[in-house]
Amino acid sequence: MSAATPQRPFDTAIVAARHREDVVVGNELVRHRLASRVIHWSVAVTFFACVFTGMPIWTPVFGWMAHLFGGLTVCRLLHPWLGVAFFLASGVMFVHWIADMRLEPRDKEWLGPKALAYMRYETDDPDVGKYNGGQKLFFWAAGLGAVGLLLSGLLIWFPRAFPKLLVELSFLIHDVTFILFAVAIVLHIYLGTAAEPGTFGSMIRGTVTREWARLHHARWYREIVSGQENRRR
Amino acid sequence: MSVQQNLEIRRSSGAVWGSLSGMRSVPTVSKYIDTTTCIGCKACEAACIEWNDLRHIATEQTGTYQTLPTLHAEYWNLIRFNERDFDGGLAWLMRKDQCMHCEEPGCLTACPAPGAIVQYANGIVDVNPDQCIGCRYCETGCPFDVPRFHQTTGKMAKCTLCVDRVSVGLEPACIKACPTGCLQFGTKDDMVALGLRRVDQLKGNGFTHATLYNPEGVHGTGVVTVLAHGDHPEWYDLPADPHVPLLVKFWKSILRPLGGIAIFGAVIGAFAHYTRFGPREVKGADATPERNLPEA
Repeated sequence: MSAATPQRPFDTAIVAARHREDVVVGNELVRHRLASRVIHWSVAVTFFACVFTGMPIWTPVFGWMAHLFGGLTVCRLLHPWLGVAFFLASGVMFVHWIADMRLEPRDKEWLGPKALAYMRYETDDPDVGKYNGGQKLFFWAAGLGAVGLLLSGLLIWFPRAFPKLLVELSFLIHDVTFILFAVAIVLHIYLGTAAEPGTFGSMIRGTVTREWARLHHARWYREIVSGQENRRR
Repeated sequence: MSVQQNLEIRRSSGAVWGSLSGMRSVPTVSKYIDTTTCIGCKACEAACIEWNDLRHIATEQTGTYQTLPTLHAEYWNLIRFNERDFDGGLAWLMRKDQCMHCEEPGCLTACPAPGAIVQYANGIVDVNPDQCIGCRYCETGCPFDVPRFHQTTGKMAKCTLCVDRVSVGLEPACIKACPTGCLQFGTKDDMVALGLRRVDQLKGNGFTHATLYNPEGVHGTGVVTVLAHGDHPEWYDLPADPHVPLLVKFWKSILRPLGGIAIFGAVIGAFAHYTRFGPREVKGADATPERNLPEA
């Protein structure tokens, strides 16, 4: 093209982030390609649809949420099907991310003081890959939680098809799993937005800055940058 | 079947905290069932269907005179026929099965829909179909396996103790129809006194284990039943010691409030963390990705 024709500025990073992941584009790294983001948000949307249809049934304190859907009866009709949708979305997410989420022995440290140190911003671990131990544990907990919610939910949905004691237990499992899930999601959202600026962009735009990657996922950053340079040579 | 304006509500499902006024003082009412004088004529079954305008459903032959194997959303009152061989001979037992109108109703405890299950001041436990969401939690809460899910309406259905009749001073339809007087209706105190007198009589006649079934586990029922073989309530398809399931009470009254506090606590915790530690800024650069302008 001739230099005389003014070109419409376009965003190379966002174009790259549609199909390719773990690549450097200018000052940015593509962290989540479009498919990853769509999968993530389909889980998020179905999860919150379940929360808003489930909470008014959980306790009348949250009865006002039922009005978002047209009443408690509508919530009761929607909730089980939204639960199935959430489970299916979670299943796709599980398969999509499992390769990145394999637990290494050192990830177990995240169950203990390491998580606290992380929250105090005291760690400067140079060996964090694409996902840190906390993120991996959250991934596995979310997978397990989705299975627990589905199975217990099915028993609550069809109470006459199962022994009464199992149905009673299912209420317990559904509630406990939801409570843990909800607490984890609150922290997940906090860490992904307010607590760590730049992170939310990885799920919207798909990219992060070099500085962000170096700070939060040093090994991932090194591997991608050096890998790209190797290919260039 | 609907809220009776002249009956105050003692307890309601899905109530955050009490919504009762408690101005009127009315005695708790009760049905009285004497299984020893029941002749199994099923007049009460017919009267129930007729008064409550229930649809006629196909009966099911189970090898006895029993109309259906269990209660049904269109069949709230069922005489259970049981035969038992025992040392003294053969017992042909008939018991009228319906909602027991528990003093502590497990269905109401489990129900999440505000006002869908209510206990009136006179002790009658009733369903308001317009509030019922058809979640079937009540089936798990009931220790007597009474509430039935209506497949076409998507609502729960059970005996209302003819609250519409009782609230205007009539006796329930089943009691009205009973030809032997084995069914009576009155205040709980009167029915218990009547039952205890009948139990004494039975004991005098050699039924040494006769009892009045009014289980303490649910703080008594609004249906008291005279059993000749009181040591074997299971012969009558009655649970020996019914309770509102402990798990139902636990998740309803302990776990859910605690869970709400935990979720709220997580939000507060995140806010406190942000206040104490602030955001983890990326060193030396603006965290917002710079837009990549086209290369020259």
